[in-house]
This record gives sequence, C-alpha cells and structure tokens, in this order.
Amino acid sequence: MDGWESFIGLARLILLAMVPYTLASQGTMLAGRAGVFNVAQEGIMLLGASVGFLAALRGGSLWVGMLAAAIAGGLLGLALAYFTSTLKMDQFVIGLALFFVGLGASSLAFKLLVGVTLVLPQIPTLPDLKVPLLGDLPVIGPILFNQNALVYLSALVSLGLYYYLYRTSWGLELRAVGENPKSADSLGINVTAQQYAATIMGSMLIGIAGAYLPMVYTGTFTQGIVQGRGWLSIALTFFGGWRPGLIFAGALFFALVEVGSLRVQIMGGVVPHQVLRMLPYLTTILVMIFAFRWVRVPAFLGQTYDREKRSLS
Amino acid sequence: MAERDRLVMRGIRKSFGPVAALDGVELRVRPGEIHGLLGGNGAGKTTLMNILFGLYRADAGEILVGGRPAHVRSPREAMALGIGMVHQQFLQVPTFTVVENIVLGTRLRNRPGLDLAGPLRKIEALAERFGLPFDPRARLGDLPMGVRQRVEIAKALYRGVELLILDEPTTMLTPQQVDALFASLKVMVQAGLSVIFITHKLREVLAVSDRITVLRSGRSVATAPRAEATEHSLVRAMVGEAVDVDRSLLFARGEHEAALAQSGQPVRLALEDLSAADPEGRPALEGWSMTVRQGEIVGIAGVAGNGQHALAEAVMAIRPRQGRVRLDGADLSALATQQLLARGLAYVPENRWEDGCLARASLAHNLILGAHRRPPFSAGRFLQWHVIHTLARALIAEFNIQARGPEAQAGDLSGGNLQRVMLARALSQEAKVLILHNPTQGLDIASIEFVYQQLLRHKRTGGATLLISENIDELFLLCNRIAVIYRGRMAGTLKRGQFDAYAAGRLMSGMPGQDAEAAA
Ligand SMILES: Nc1ncnc2c1ncn2[C@@H]1O[C@H](COP(=O)(O)OP(=O)(O)O)[C@@H](O)[C@H]1O
Ligand SMILES: [Mg+2]
Repeated sequence: MDGWESFIGLARLILLAMVPYTLASQGTMLAGRAGVFNVAQEGIMLLGASVGFLAALRGGSLWVGMLAAAIAGGLLGLALAYFTSTLKMDQFVIGLALFFVGLGASSLAFKLLVGVTLVLPQIPTLPDLKVPLLGDLPVIGPILFNQNALVYLSALVSLGLYYYLYRTSWGLELRAVGENPKSADSLGINVTAQQYAATIMGSMLIGIAGAYLPMVYTGTFTQGIVQGRGWLSIALTFFGGWRPGLIFAGALFFALVEVGSLRVQIMGGVVPHQVLRMLPYLTTILVMIFAFRWVRVPAFLGQTYDREKRSLS
Repeated sequence: MAERDRLVMRGIRKSFGPVAALDGVELRVRPGEIHGLLGGNGAGKTTLMNILFGLYRADAGEILVGGRPAHVRSPREAMALGIGMVHQQFLQVPTFTVVENIVLGTRLRNRPGLDLAGPLRKIEALAERFGLPFDPRARLGDLPMGVRQRVEIAKALYRGVELLILDEPTTMLTPQQVDALFASLKVMVQAGLSVIFITHKLREVLAVSDRITVLRSGRSVATAPRAEATEHSLVRAMVGEAVDVDRSLLFARGEHEAALAQSGQPVRLALEDLSAADPEGRPALEGWSMTVRQGEIVGIAGVAGNGQHALAEAVMAIRPRQGRVRLDGADLSALATQQLLARGLAYVPENRWEDGCLARASLAHNLILGAHRRPPFSAGRFLQWHVIHTLARALIAEFNIQARGPEAQAGDLSGGNLQRVMLARALSQEAKVLILHNPTQGLDIASIEFVYQQLLRHKRTGGATLLISENIDELFLLCNRIAVIYRGRMAGTLKRGQFDAYAAGRLMSGMPGQDAEAAA
C-alpha cells in the first residue's frame, strides 16, 4: 500500500512539472511553424511569472494573474513579430534581446509593486479540480483526474494544436508559411499576418507557463524561479520534432527527469547536488544527439521572408 | 485594338537598387493565344511577370486586365483577376501532398477535419481534361520535376485562371515532356485561356506561340505574329549588337569546328567503374565507366538530380568513391583533390556561389584558389601577393571580367562574370581535363557564347572536356559523344551524327534506347 502511495505521489508530481514544459514548447512550436524561431522563452516565462504573481496578488484571483501573464507574454511576442516579420531583423538577435527585456522587466515590476521586503507576499496555489466519477477511480483517479486546471489545459492545448495544424485549412496555411513562405505568398496567404498570429499566441502560452510556477510551486516570485525551463523548452521542441503530440510526450519525459533528479537530491547521497542540477541539461544533450537524426524542423525556421529579395537557390 | 487585348502592360519600369531590370516595357496579350515571351537570361522576363502577379511592385507603368486598369498589389489580387503563374523555381511545399499543395490558400470548408474529397474530384477532372497525369495523394517532394511542374499548372487551373504565365517551363523537362506540355497548352487556349510562355529558346517559342514578344535588357524590342517571325529576326532582336550572330557558336547551324571527330587521339581521362553515394548514404553513382580523348568534348545528359553532381565530385575525389580514375594512363585513384588539381584536372561546379567561389574573398584570392600552395603563388609558406595580383589583372583582362579589379569581392559579381572567373581559374592552371557542370545555366547570351568559345579553345589545345549539362541543345552543339545518366547509371550513349532529342529523352527518363548502344 505504501508503495502505491509513493507511486501516486511521484506520478502526480511529474504531471505537475509537465505543465510549464508543455505550454512553453507548444508556444515555441506554434511560432516555429510560421518560420519564427522564438528564443526568448526564459525571459517571457520570467515576465509571465512576475506579472502573473503581481496581478494575482493585486487582483485577488489567480485567473486575473493568468490573463495578465498571457498579455505580458503576448506583448513580447508582438515585439518579436514586429522586429522580425515587419522589420526583417535577425530572429536570434531579437529573441536574445527580448530575453533580457523579460529578465529586467520581471524584477522591475516586482520592485515597483512589492518593494524590498523580508517577508515575501504569498498568493494561494492553484486548487485541484476533481473530475466527477473519473476522479474516484483507484490509482488513475488521483493521478490523472484530480489535478489543477492547467494540467488539463495543457493536455487540451496539445490536442487542440494538433487538430488545428493537421485537420484545418488554417493549419495547412500556417505550416505552408513555415515551410515555404514564398509559395504561401504566391497563393495569396498573408505571410505576415500568419507570423504575427502564431508568434503572439505562442508567446501567450509561454507567458502562462511562467505564471504557473509561482501559482503551483512557490506562491511567490523570485528571480531564479524559471530555472532554465525556458531554455529547456527549446530543446524539447526540437526533441518533439515540432509536432504537438510528440512535444506533449517529450514534456512528460522532461518532467520525469526534473522530478527524478529532485528526488535523488532529497534522498541525499554521494552525488553532489550540482551534478544533479545539471542532469536535465545533460539528458537533453544526450537525447538530442539521437533526436536530431530524425527531427525535421520547419524548412524556413529562423529565416526572414522578404518578397522582393532574391533567394539564392 | 485595346478591347481585344486581355492584358495590356505599358511603360513598366522596375529597378533593384542601381540595376534597372525593366525600362519601359510593353506587352499585349489576346484571349485564346499562346504568347511567347522571348529573351536571354537577365532580360527581365521574370521580373515583368512577377509584377503582373503582384509579387513585385512596379516603379512606374500601367496594367490593364480585360480593358480595365488593374492595381495588382499581391498574388491574391492577381488571382482574383484570373491570373495564374507557374514560377521558374517552383513555389511548392515538398512535405505536403499534391492535393494539399493545390488547395493551399483556397477557402476550404473546415468540417471536422480537412475536407479534401471535393477538391480531389475537381483536381482529377482538371488533370484528365488538360492531359496532366499525376497522383494527387503522393508527397510532392517524392515526385520528379516533370510531374511537379504539372502540379504547378494544375494549381493555377484549379483557381480558374484566364491568363496563365509559365516562366521557363521547359528547362527541366525531357523533349517528350516538352511535347506533352505544349499539347496541354493547346487544349487550354482552345478553351479560351491565354498563356504567356516564357523562354530563352528560339525553337520552343517558334514551335508553340501564336505571337511573340522579345525582351532585351529590360526593354521590349519587338512583338510579331508567329508567321512573320524568323529565327534570324528573333536572334537579332534578342541579342542586339552584343554578339556577332553570324560567327557565334550559340546560334550556329549545321556542323562546325566544335563537332570535329577526335577518334584517333589518345585517351586522356579514363573512369573505371566509379561509384559514390549521396550525403545520406544512398548510392548516387553506380559502376560508371567512360573515356575522354584528347581534344574531345564528351557530354553527360540527364534530368537534374540523377547523379550528375555525384559523378563530378567522384572524379574530383571531393566525395568518397570506389573505382579508378586515370589521366593519360596514370592511375590517380589514390590522390586527393588538391593533388588532382596539381595534375591538371579542373572542375567548374554547378553551384557557382556555394561550391565554386569564396563569396567574401577577393577576385585575386579566388583566381588562384587550388593553386595557391604552388609556386609562383607561394614561396614556402608565404603567398606572393604581387605575383597573384599581376596574374589576376591579366586574367580579368583576358576573360573580360567586369569588376573593379583584383580586390573586388567575388560575391558581388553577376552570374556571368563569376562564371568567367571560374573558367579563368580552371584554364589558367593549364588544365588537361576540364569538368564542367551546367556551365551556362542562368548566364546572359554574351556570357554563354564566351563559355562556348573557351571550351573550343581548350579543345584545340588537346584538352579533354567532360561537359555535364541539363541543356540538351548545348550538348548537341558541342559534344563528340554523349552519355546519358539516369539514377546514377549510364542509360546509354549517343554518337555525333545520331544525336536525336527524342532518343536522348527516352534514355533520360529511364526507357531503354532503341538504337543507342551500351556504354562505350
Ligand atoms: N529580386 C531581385 N533583386 C535584385 N535584382 C534582381 C531581382 N530580380 C531580378 N533582378 C535583376 O533584374 C534583372 C532581370 O532579371 P530577371 O527578370 O530574372 O531576368 P530573366 O527572367 O529574363 O532571366 C537581372 O539583372 C537581375 O539580376
Ligand atoms: Mg527568369
């Protein structure tokens, strides 16, 4: 019985940890499918965490916080789209610049609204929602059907994105933009509009992924709250082959590594904790060595499209 | 007059930076005609059509469609006016299926799931009616170029075009496929469509057009009905004074010096059972054996992507290979590229920009590349820049390279000038064997003529030439013998005197040749 208890506990933790990876990577994937390679995840998540926390604190509701984080993320996405799609600037340079913007803005907002205190203000954590009937099943019930709303949401987002990309003509158009924008353009598809929409929506998801952290783990905002999850989500997106289904599966794996290394750390032992902290990154590198063999990235990822520019081919 | 025209373009101008690509062009197209748009490379044909299709914005000029002024600001607006375009470089998504490529951008109903059954029926009917066979469910990237082009045409027809633009549609087709294409075009104009057929090949424009407009350096120099156009008048209009038509090789008729037989000469280059793989490890060249004699030009014909690149790189030891390479009887199979260059093998790759030059390095640097470790360019470890610059200046003059001087960046040159650099480099290093891959692709007429004259010069001095080209006319013009490559194997050979476009076309599409013998 005790074995079951701890298994259920561990599985629940993994699902909790899966959420930010899923949302951030699906957001990255969405923009990437329009050819925009977002590398500002870490900054967007930090800003989402800060703004989400502050809005929840002031607004009195976690949902207000989520909304504010989505808007903050969306604004950074808008900036990314404007500089890369309209002004045709380099996506990596702008992405890295926006990372620093997010980094700075997140602590600035916190300083302005909370100030320097010894006792950090707290917000309540996201409550668990029990699905009727299913939630009462043994083992599966507590793991899958008695979780917070964002666990369900991240599964729904993954499913929705899959449906959108592969089962609708809008998805067909979006994928065409990321594969061959000139072809899409020549067929009357508005490349710029697609890139704006995908980048902004994607960044909103990444912002929510950031807000999730104070609302589930710490109850407050700290500078180090994101802990490289943003960078890892880029790796995860490649790992998932820029496909919603595989990204979802990959997020579970990344969450497993995160929870697993924490476990080992708590149990203590010979392995220094710095090594354990490196584990997710090391695993990522190992996995990527194999993943890169079969991964297909959108053909136009990271490039800027300019109608009158001659393409060397 | 004006009412009869489906399309009128008047006074069209367009500049790219300092380059005036179009300088007051006029074009009139009637309903139900195939209108040939003829011009050398760089004449501005593609630019003009991109303006009509809304991809480029004209600097000046007006466009009338069906008698009404049209402001085409995007392809969407062009398509709304009934204009469709098949681009020179296909604008397709290789990872999508054929149907997905065709319906992309059309307003589809989103039932639960993407409903492609209706479009599929419509596409099949269109393909049937216009004689464009393809499998709508295939993944586009898996299809050969000839089929991909039919898909491009179907894409335009699916949108209900009245005016179809085809930009150099024949470059990647075998002669048989060209005939099939022309037959489809005839069906289209009978159905009332207008077709603008762009080409730089005289024979094609004369074969299929009802009227012909000639473009030269951004100006429309003449429009004439097919009946009034002669090959000679078109050539004159196309090249102006830039080329001496009567002495040119490019427009030569009948036999000429290039074709002189070279049977008695000793074998210069011998390839024995050469095999190589592509970067993914799949076989790209299998069991290739052939010889090239002194003073001989031997052609390699084939549809692009059948192992031509592998063949060139295998000979030059750029990629790993099995088999033997002999020069004047000596076995060079174990030598690396650097040593092959020193022994007198020279290679002008197909992709001038990526494989052929250092785009950011100077002309002088590019001109000695490969010979830079040898005297007189290098003494010990040090480059002798004064020697190099002297040579560069001499080559720039001799090969008529339009550039500021030896310090100019290679990447700033036009395609024609860069190709002169490639040839200057190959020929100045006393090449015994010249291996050329599509040496005239994308060049203007004067540069093409220049390349041909250089080949002839090399031939006269006893040099052997392996000319890999996707342009069958070029091979017929220059070669003593032609080997056809299909899926990395020799599909057959043709001798001078038995050159026949259809025989070559059969071999190029993998059908057994009728009177062509096995490999020589
Ligand atoms: N997108 C572009 N940017 C800069 N220069 C261009 C571009 N497109 C065409 N040009 C230039 O315009 C001229 C006409 O080119 P193009 O219309 O492609 O000729 P054609 O199709 O007749 O071979 C050439 O000098 C070419 O270098
Ligand atoms: Mg062109």
